[in-house]
Amino acid sequence: MNDPRQISAQTEKALDSNDIKIRARDVQVYYGDNHAIKDVDVDILDKTVTAFIGPSGCGKSTFLRCINRMNDTIDIARIEGEILLDGQDIYDPSIDPVQLRAKVGMVFQKPNPFPKSIYDNIAYGPRIHGLARNRAELDEIVEKSLRRGAIWDEVKDRLDAPGTSLSGGQQQRLCIARAVATEPEVLLMDEPCSALDPIATAQVEELIDELRARYSVVIVTHSMQQAARVSQRTAFFHLGNLVEYGLTSDIFTNPRDSRTESYITGRIG
Amino acid sequence: MLGTTFVVILALSAGWYFLLRRRAMAAAGPRLADLHSRPSYHGFYAALGSFLAGTAVLLVVGIGWGLWNDMQLQNQIGQALPESSAIERQLVLSDAKAVADGALPSRSGELRSAVAERHATLETARQWGTAALALAAALAFGLLAWRRSDRDFRARNRTERMVTIVLWATAAIAVLTTLGIVLSLIFETANFFSNIGWRIDKFLFGTTWSPLSGVQSGQMNPDKVGAVPLFAGTFLITLIAMIVAVPIGLMAAIYLADFASPRTRSVVKPMLEILAGIPTVVYGFFAAITVAPFIRQSGEALGISVASESALAAGVVMGIMIIPFISSLSDDVINAVPQSLRDGSYGLGATKAETIRQVVLPSALPGIVSAVLLGVSRAVGETMIVVMAAGQGANLTLNPLEAVTTVTVQIVMLITGDTEASTAAGPAFTLGFTLFCITLLMNIIALRIVRRYRELYD
Ligand SMILES: Nc1ncnc2c1ncn2[C@@H]1O[C@H](COP(=O)(O)OP(=O)(O)OP(=O)(O)O)[C@@H](O)[C@H]1O
Ligand SMILES: [Mg+2]
Repeated sequence: MNDPRQISAQTEKALDSNDIKIRARDVQVYYGDNHAIKDVDVDILDKTVTAFIGPSGCGKSTFLRCINRMNDTIDIARIEGEILLDGQDIYDPSIDPVQLRAKVGMVFQKPNPFPKSIYDNIAYGPRIHGLARNRAELDEIVEKSLRRGAIWDEVKDRLDAPGTSLSGGQQQRLCIARAVATEPEVLLMDEPCSALDPIATAQVEELIDELRARYSVVIVTHSMQQAARVSQRTAFFHLGNLVEYGLTSDIFTNPRDSRTESYITGRIG
Repeated sequence: MLGTTFVVILALSAGWYFLLRRRAMAAAGPRLADLHSRPSYHGFYAALGSFLAGTAVLLVVGIGWGLWNDMQLQNQIGQALPESSAIERQLVLSDAKAVADGALPSRSGELRSAVAERHATLETARQWGTAALALAAALAFGLLAWRRSDRDFRARNRTERMVTIVLWATAAIAVLTTLGIVLSLIFETANFFSNIGWRIDKFLFGTTWSPLSGVQSGQMNPDKVGAVPLFAGTFLITLIAMIVAVPIGLMAAIYLADFASPRTRSVVKPMLEILAGIPTVVYGFFAAITVAPFIRQSGEALGISVASESALAAGVVMGIMIIPFISSLSDDVINAVPQSLRDGSYGLGATKAETIRQVVLPSALPGIVSAVLLGVSRAVGETMIVVMAAGQGANLTLNPLEAVTTVTVQIVMLITGDTEASTAAGPAFTLGFTLFCITLLMNIIALRIVRRYRELYD
């Protein structure tokens, strides 16, 4: 009964189509002539942590950026196929990417705090979307977000200091807190822990686990251990293809594809 | 003669280069790597050293010997004309030199021909002597290098030290020139102030500018050197120029950096920068011949009386001239704001407008401010447009439709006017010095801001 695969199999049965948060079909991404994402079909579930793994340059970040249309800002990027969020095609002309991104938040691979105070960094999103009615509510959101980003204790005495004055790892947690502050339904995290020490990493993983109760989280990671620890689903990308997608426990204990097996055992990538 | 010597020194050092390089290679023996310095460094050391030694001797001895000769000729003249004034003696000397060079003297006479003869002998000695000494120095340095050059000789370190000294010297020249200009400005300014009995307050706060009226003996009337109208004029025109240039330049920069496609940008940006390449004289007569009449006619149509030369015309055209400074610099700083910051903002669901207003512009603000300050410096120092389009009358007014004058215009008037240069120079230098202080202050502020901006992303 303690076999993780059996437990997962039981949860699997309980799923119905309502639990699919994002449905991607036949997605292609081109950067100019470079075909970076090829025929990707994937269903990302609600209230689940999904890990994207794969060797460097295989298109994990690219696919992640498709989900909140961040690739719109890259002139040479071209996207084909269909991505549905709650059944709505996000590339439909009637969809406003600004509203989409309010629902699908993102933490980037490199920390990018605004050159504003720590407080204003966090308050930025809530202010834009009018999440706080007054200063007290805003203060509350800022404190809650910083706590969830596991950085409150380090910055609570210097909320007026510029966000850029923090260390790299602190900046990354600030960016996580900033993304959480807008209460997105889906949080996309691109290697959020690559600049963090083990303690901060553990705190962020705790946060991810906590977010799972309400949101769908997609995390790109190069750490197999992290993928195994935090995610329920894992997608393995290789050279722009989605090679294998399934329960994390299956991918790590019983990969179906030989490329997945070589990657998780450290032979490619 | 001395020119030829210089060429010979050049050839000599080139020769030393090849000789020393050969020698170093020979000294190395079978393994070239045993040399402390590469053979070309041995060559460079000898070449650079002998060139510097020769040129330095050429300059120092050549000039010093010339001064010494002049002193001797002065003595000779002094003995012949013991009662004469310094200016008279100088006149005799320059006439004598003209005679010796075969040019036409202002007057001729026995004394002049005698001095000319003496000058010719002294000059020949100076030229041959200087040439010989310079060549000797260049040769001697090469020989020294030849004797020292062996396997362990640290030719590289010595060459590097020599190059450092040369670089230092060139930097020193730039700094000393600046210092010299500033000192002469200060000196002339002090001179002028002592001329008006140290009534600095009259200069700074007086409202009548007519410094040369009734000047006879170089003594000026402190009541007529009030520079306020000039600074008010400069201020007014600068203000108009910035009102034109800042919004247009800044918005053009935002368009170029965040909205234009790369194709548009690659066409529009160079076109804007062409504006900066138009000579200010052209802007000046554009202002005087096209813009000023247009403004006057428009004014008449509206029933407003407009002077034919107005601050408005000059200011508007100056603003157009400054647009590319502001747009180009601002575009650069806006572009320097990392894409990742914009992504961060978009990723939180911000619109393009929110991103530009709340993330991009604040990040670029220090750079934009310094671009604006550089634009202000340009406007304050600009002369040509104002000379042609704003008039010369020192009116104290803030009405942009009247003729005003600026600090720079008055400097031009003073220096190119009929009054003797030594009299007019005083107020002109003082105005120049004040202007210099203002622009210096602004440039310092701009540089400060730029420096702080650089630290932001490090
Ligand atoms: N802005 C861009 N312009 C052009 N090509 C790009 C761009 N971003 C990514 N690519 C290309 O797309 C491919 C996938 O890149 P992507 O960043 O998605 O890889 P990744 O899996 O995230 O790698 P890593 O693990 O190193 O972050 C690469 O071949 C890359 O060269
Ligand atoms: Mg990536």
